[in-house]
Amino acid sequence: MKLSVLGTSHRTAPVDVRERFALPAEAARDLLRSVRAESTFDEALVLDTCNRTEIYLVADGPRDCMAYMHEHYQRLKQVSMADYLSAFYCYHDLAAAEHLFRVAASLDSQIVGEDQIIGQVKGAYRMAVSEGSAGLVMHRLFHRAMCVSKQVRTETQLSSGAVSVPQAAVELARQVFAPLAGKSVMLVGAGKTAELAARNLAGCGVGHIVVANRTLSRAQQLAAELLEGELGPCLPAEQPEPAESLLLDGVCVRPLRSPDEPPACPTAGPLTTEAISLEGIPQALLRVNMMICSAGSPDPVLTWENCSRILRRLTKPLLIIDIALPRNVDPRLNALSNVFLYNLDNLNALVTANLDRRRREIPQARAIIEHEVQSFGRWLDSLTVVPIIKLLQQHFEQLRSAEIKRYGHQFSDNEQLELFAQSLCKKILYKPLVFLRDISQENDGPESQAAMEVIRQMFDLDSVDGQNGTPAG
Amino acid sequence: MAVLVTLTNWLLPLLYLGLLIDYGTTFFLRTRTASRNPLLPVVLVVHALFLVLRSIHEGRPPMVHGHEILSILALSTAAVYLVLEIAVRDRRAGVFIVLLVFLFQYTSSVFVGDHTGAQSGWARAHIIPAIIAYTAFAVGAIHGILHLLAHRNLKRHSVGVLFDRLPPVELLGKMSWCALVVGFIFMTVNVATGPLLLKYVNAADSGAAQAAWHVEPRVALKIIAGCTAWIIYGVAIAGRSFARWPMERISGIGVLGFAITMIMIIGSAFLP
Repeated sequence: MKLSVLGTSHRTAPVDVRERFALPAEAARDLLRSVRAESTFDEALVLDTCNRTEIYLVADGPRDCMAYMHEHYQRLKQVSMADYLSAFYCYHDLAAAEHLFRVAASLDSQIVGEDQIIGQVKGAYRMAVSEGSAGLVMHRLFHRAMCVSKQVRTETQLSSGAVSVPQAAVELARQVFAPLAGKSVMLVGAGKTAELAARNLAGCGVGHIVVANRTLSRAQQLAAELLEGELGPCLPAEQPEPAESLLLDGVCVRPLRSPDEPPACPTAGPLTTEAISLEGIPQALLRVNMMICSAGSPDPVLTWENCSRILRRLTKPLLIIDIALPRNVDPRLNALSNVFLYNLDNLNALVTANLDRRRREIPQARAIIEHEVQSFGRWLDSLTVVPIIKLLQQHFEQLRSAEIKRYGHQFSDNEQLELFAQSLCKKILYKPLVFLRDISQENDGPESQAAMEVIRQMFDLDSVDGQNGTPAG
Repeated sequence: MAVLVTLTNWLLPLLYLGLLIDYGTTFFLRTRTASRNPLLPVVLVVHALFLVLRSIHEGRPPMVHGHEILSILALSTAAVYLVLEIAVRDRRAGVFIVLLVFLFQYTSSVFVGDHTGAQSGWARAHIIPAIIAYTAFAVGAIHGILHLLAHRNLKRHSVGVLFDRLPPVELLGKMSWCALVVGFIFMTVNVATGPLLLKYVNAADSGAAQAAWHVEPRVALKIIAGCTAWIIYGVAIAGRSFARWPMERISGIGVLGFAITMIMIIGSAFLP
């Protein structure tokens, strides 16, 4: 069996090249149907994301996947691969498996440890299964890829820690408040990053969002949009536990967080929003637990003069995240006991520290992948023995049938004779079959190949017709 | 029975050491931070059984001598922490609490002796609230230290070793405050029963020749320690309730108060 992967990614091509060769859902299905119809390859799968397009192919012998895909891209998308050869990579057998495991474990992602990729891998696998283009090798390969992904996430810190500013806001909130459910957040300004952070916090159980804007009508509009929009995903507070499992064709995989899944954190109740103007901010400070500031104002919105007296009355912590430039919050306010003020530099330092921590986990993740690649390699090698086993079984079945036909009339009970013959053949074949399976899994290629050649010659299997076990000719 | 008591006496520090390692793993590897520790209740049951066995062996409740008080203090601190862990579902502070418990129990196990001593009902009425109060102060002090550390980290925007290993600062403040209030309530009972116990002991021990309020230096220092703790924590509670003192100040007072009290109590062991 020959496994190949041909693809392009953010590492090898810019977006304007990648988009020429992207295979979104319908195009991917067309390709899978073509592969199934043409039978050049036995199995196929398309993995298409915003950062990569990869085609996985399995054949029973060497095939030129590059030439095959070149022809298909010409037909499907009227684009020539020959003009962009340097944008493509092609791996075979164990290298292809290792590549997939690295992709599934998010080692090949733009942000190492990101968790969107495993959902995309799962989606690609499901599409191949539904189109009937996934067979023995794809099932095994992608099941193992999902298990590798789960193992890397649970045994390393590769996916822990915030790696974006909105995520960092949630992580900081978790360091200050317990629990997040029921807390209230004030959003100052209309920045997209701040809005995303607010949605993430709402997804983690924050119950009330106060929107402050220069004009009240704009604040009301934003408040309504937040109420109608989708809640953001909630970062796990710790390393993912192997909790309730999701069975995928009988194989246990980690629960995946995709946009259509409910947030992981419980909410105190339905989300409520409120709109105020900038002038109402000082009075609202005592009612909220957290502020995210992103107003495009040349002067600070919260100054020492207009807020310090009010903030001194705080009896609970107030987390202020100021991601505006120029800053919206007077930095002197951080000196107040119950105020924790973070600006863009502070958040970026947190993100950088988390990225560094993830990078330090890469060697351990690679070790897990290497172990799994070796295991997959042994399984792949064991497949070479399958045709020999089939031929051997067919040969003995033919011998059994021929002898019963010759001597059966001399026995009164043919049924008993059939049972006896079947049992005898099975017992004779048992040791050779176990030997073949064991040697293909435990030994290097040449030794198992030599063993199979001995079996082939011993029983003259080359002369056996693969269809019905009869000698050819 | 004596052999069983001795064996359990040495088993307990080992069990708490095992717990300490487990909590340390949680703290440093950031794993299982939101789940309860199944080992802690088991160790507490063993500890409680040890005290029962000791009571049977000694023929009295084990709360007369210093090492016995330390063992009870270890048990009560661990029990209080178990309740907190179940309530807040966060065991990141566990390594610090269990470290203190381990030190209490190790000291108790090392300095155990073949003491005898009777104890009156008044003594128990005084000592039990004292144990609860000091347990609460110990738990409060640990949470207070962690609160101050977490507070400082957030103020300085530090992303070092402790950043996401400590429980949230709000939670630490709440735990510190609750422990302080509970400790103050029981210390009030302790201070109130103290003079009654003293009068009873003097009347029983020395008859009419001894002044009713005569105290030994060792006992005097313990009385001062209890009153000092009561005053310090009372001031902290009043400051928070009426003057809205910030929680970091309350945590600092709680830590200081516990340290002063412990120094006095340990110092009393060296006095006649």
